[in-house]
Amino acid sequence: MSSSAIEPEAPDLVCQLDNVQGMVDAFSAVRWKRQQDAVVELSEHGIVLIVEEIGCLQAKVYLQKELFVQYQYNAQGRPRFGVSLGLFVDCLNTFSVPGHSTAIEIQYPGPDMQLLLKSVDSLDACIYAEIRTRIPDTFSWDYNFEPAGTTPLSFTVKSAALKEAIDDLEWPGSSIQIILKPVPPSVTFRGEGHGDLQIEFMYYVNTDLLIAFHCDHEVSYRYKYKFLRATTSNIPSSVIKDNRGSKLTIGRGGMLKVQHLVSVGRSSIAHPHVDAAGYQQPSRIAFIEFFVRPEEDESTINN
Amino acid sequence: MKFKAFITENGVSLLERRFLPALEKMGKVCHLFLTRDHTFFLHNLLNGDGVQSIAQFRKEALFDDYRISSQNEDRIAFAIDISLLYRAVRSSVSICSEYGGGGATENRLQIKLVKKLPPNCTQPTPYLTFETKGYKSAVIQDVPISKPLSRAQVLELQTALDMAQDLPQTLVQVPDLNQLQSYVDRMKHVGDLLNVSISKYGDLHVQISTTLITLGAEFRKLLVIGDKAQAPPEDQNLSAQSRSQRAILRGDAQSVQVSVRHFSKSLQCHLAKPDCAFYGIVPPGACLTVIFQFFIPGTRQTDKSISLHCRLPVLDPGSN
Repeated sequence: MSSSAIEPEAPDLVCQLDNVQGMVDAFSAVRWKRQQDAVVELSEHGIVLIVEEIGCLQAKVYLQKELFVQYQYNAQGRPRFGVSLGLFVDCLNTFSVPGHSTAIEIQYPGPDMQLLLKSVDSLDACIYAEIRTRIPDTFSWDYNFEPAGTTPLSFTVKSAALKEAIDDLEWPGSSIQIILKPVPPSVTFRGEGHGDLQIEFMYYVNTDLLIAFHCDHEVSYRYKYKFLRATTSNIPSSVIKDNRGSKLTIGRGGMLKVQHLVSVGRSSIAHPHVDAAGYQQPSRIAFIEFFVRPEEDESTINN
Repeated sequence: MKFKAFITENGVSLLERRFLPALEKMGKVCHLFLTRDHTFFLHNLLNGDGVQSIAQFRKEALFDDYRISSQNEDRIAFAIDISLLYRAVRSSVSICSEYGGGGATENRLQIKLVKKLPPNCTQPTPYLTFETKGYKSAVIQDVPISKPLSRAQVLELQTALDMAQDLPQTLVQVPDLNQLQSYVDRMKHVGDLLNVSISKYGDLHVQISTTLITLGAEFRKLLVIGDKAQAPPEDQNLSAQSRSQRAILRGDAQSVQVSVRHFSKSLQCHLAKPDCAFYGIVPPGACLTVIFQFFIPGTRQTDKSISLHCRLPVLDPGSN
């Protein structure tokens, strides 16, 4: 893009993506409010975008290098930069032409440490963008997710059903209790606030809904509704359409991990045959993880 | 002051399916200006800050049996709520088509200027009345209009209209209006001010630049009408931004800053289904003009009885 500028070395990263909509979907999934700062970390394995609500909620989007048509990584260490997520998504969205998979090239850094984007599929029409980056804030990074015991406490539920359940729990609001029981194998979402609402997923009753379930002892933790909601509020429509599942795992101390899979493949015209399980080449999937801290007693917070 | 005419079938379809939906997007109220030979729909000509849009029809394009008389050289102008006008035309069409197949002369749509005394009022109010005669019924719709413009105001409108006719020296053809529209609509989220530069080489470059982001699109090798020039080969491999900067320095391009909202509004005119559209800058950076061209159906010849163009106010005289 900036052939006039003198660049002593190759940029840290130059990569090309053949369908920008997938990236828009993946990043939108972690955009739970309007003004949000994100940190982007580059490595030889791919791009990770991290968003955080300090001390309560963290989300990561993993775009592995296999998702890109081209991925030239030239940096030492792992360069990180801060960027406004809203601006980044709105900007990427401009590149996405409906009914047409647009290819873009992403480069970092530009001559003034910008993130550079440009469309590459047409010679006579070109869309370009330069986004100013910031020196990233230091993240608390204490979201080390550790398994709660020898057997993982986890379940996989249809993303659509999870979203619907969490949307329904808006009415009681405030805090939501998640209870996993081995006998009978079930997951319960319980909201107590303006009223009570309990949503139960029984493993053996409907294996279509609750696809997998691992639990050897009963556990129960409370999470703030607004954070739980952030994990599904912007789930891309392609996830629902592809009939995917989301995996929820409870780790040590009640830390909740929510994982979604977002297709970053070419537009569905290129892959008309997504089979019943929503299977696509694993390399065409972006991984999204949310970590939600459980609610604690006031005394522990003040410590 | 008298005005009475029948809207032709072609006129109804032009207004209902194409022009009124487009003009409604340009603003709620417009001036309807009727002369002996032409009908104009004019937006923002007398109050300067919005997008000016000028739609002009030769009377034959819309009407037959056209009768107009006024003491001001048979010119009449008034303000009208375009959405009400659109509603009246739409419902007239549905009445006509309900009894479709009947004699074409029987269910014609007549419009005329009337003064009526509305209920609970002592002053008569002017209306544009639509009279549709169906097979068994007749429907009359009164669209309220402003008091007709005075002689001085009509003169002012006519002057503004004459001033709005100057053509840019270079016009470039927009490749795909729908695509540009969807692109600009997405750009709106990023910033408010759009830099537009147009070169004699056939380049159209639009860009939003804020402290946090620069986002732009460049369309090259477009059809040029008017002043054109050969693009210098050494500019081929430059970035869009430096290419347009160099063209401006060379005097081969002009650049203006307009509101993204205005630009997007001007693109809404694609609802009028023009056959092509051209952008140009009226020197010296006075305004950004977009001209829509309509062909005679089934040909590539310009239909001279219809014309539509918009003028976007320039927010900053630009870098030239």
